[in-house]
Amino acid sequence: MRDFLDDRPIKLRRERSPVPASLRPFVLAVGLCLLAGMLVLLDRLGVITPARQMLQSLTAPVAQRLTGLRDDIGAFFSAPRGAAALEARIAALERENGELRNQLLRLEQAQVENHFLRQQLAIQQAHPWTLLGAEVTVRSPDAGRRMITIARGSREGVRPGMAVIGQLPGTLAALIGIVESTGPHTADVLLITDISSQVSGRVIHRGRAEAGLVQGQWQRGSRLQLGQITRDLELAPGDSVVTAGLTGALQLPFDLASIPPNIPIGSVDQVRVIDQHQIAEVRPFVDPDQVRYVWVIISQDD
Amino acid sequence: MAGLFALACVQVTLLGLPSGFTLPLVPVLVICRTLLGVGAALPDVGLSRALRWALYGGMALDVFAATPLGAHALALLLAVLVVAALTRRLRVERPAVPLLAVLVGMLIYEAVLALFLHPGAIDWRSYLILVMLPSVVVALAPTLPLFFLLRRLLRGQL
Repeated sequence: MRDFLDDRPIKLRRERSPVPASLRPFVLAVGLCLLAGMLVLLDRLGVITPARQMLQSLTAPVAQRLTGLRDDIGAFFSAPRGAAALEARIAALERENGELRNQLLRLEQAQVENHFLRQQLAIQQAHPWTLLGAEVTVRSPDAGRRMITIARGSREGVRPGMAVIGQLPGTLAALIGIVESTGPHTADVLLITDISSQVSGRVIHRGRAEAGLVQGQWQRGSRLQLGQITRDLELAPGDSVVTAGLTGALQLPFDLASIPPNIPIGSVDQVRVIDQHQIAEVRPFVDPDQVRYVWVIISQDD
Repeated sequence: MAGLFALACVQVTLLGLPSGFTLPLVPVLVICRTLLGVGAALPDVGLSRALRWALYGGMALDVFAATPLGAHALALLLAVLVVAALTRRLRVERPAVPLLAVLVGMLIYEAVLALFLHPGAIDWRSYLILVMLPSVVVALAPTLPLFFLLRRLLRGQL
């Protein structure tokens, strides 16, 4: 290990040194801090970003294999023990359950679109999206930032602002994040549970809908929060939340303009009333921390 | 440098916990290396090596974590600097010293990363309770085994 980490052996002293250390290492530390700070600045300005992205592209295959290994190990320990027939039956029921929930949510969405802007036809299409599948190569190593890196980049048509969906056994396909930046063959996805993630959403309650803002809450000990909902529409636990696609409809030149409407996000868990507004805790349909394979919505068929 | 790059890769890919936290292998090793450097016969040389570990390890984490190049490095360098300043007159081989050093170092590391990686204002109180303190607890778990393993590895070269 020393050969890889140190060029020369270190000699440990047995007693406390009576001589205080000189200031030379601290001067070196200040110099290295300035160097690191300069690198951060240059990266923020985009000067060295291509070099970093190239390094990421080089390391992505190894990282992808190791992440896959970890997922396999986790799946091995979490897999149910029992007869093969029982497992097959559970898998079939999970698939059926996911399909039924998908049908139910599509039905609710169709009712709302018919009531407002006669968008029923678009909603009745099962998935009007052009998808690009991608494996998750890296998850954020820091607790303070919820991000993943996927093995698709700008060469495959991925652009910042595109919606990323995932699906777990027994769940429907739902939004898990937004592409934040891209390299040639990789892309960084900000998960919807991150506190800096904000997506325009629409909550559906008994055939009516109201627009609001869905914000990540992981760093505050929760998952998602739906805000800016007026008290005109009384929310209740179990109400479905989908993307509103407001920026996309307005064709604004924002990154988030690439998020199509009606992507399932989650269901309301708890509702609080503050003044004239309601705030809802939202449980995502798909836990972004659990997905191994995701799809980027490249475009939507109008 | 290659070893730290490999360890950063392992941290990013294999050491994620179901709770969403990641075992911070590289930061803990760098802080332990700092203590061993400060406690060495030639503290200046030892501390300089620890600073190199911080720079290389931090940049490796930046590459794997898709964060601005230098952000993790700067956080680790500041953590090393503070830990070295606080422990240079202590006997670093007492078990409490590595634990306290990792506690202080990880708080600085997480705080600097929060400043760099979080857009907008940070609610420091909730961030401390929900992110920083759990991260420190996760970091403390492997501290003593890693410290004594590292000490053994380095002493074997005498």
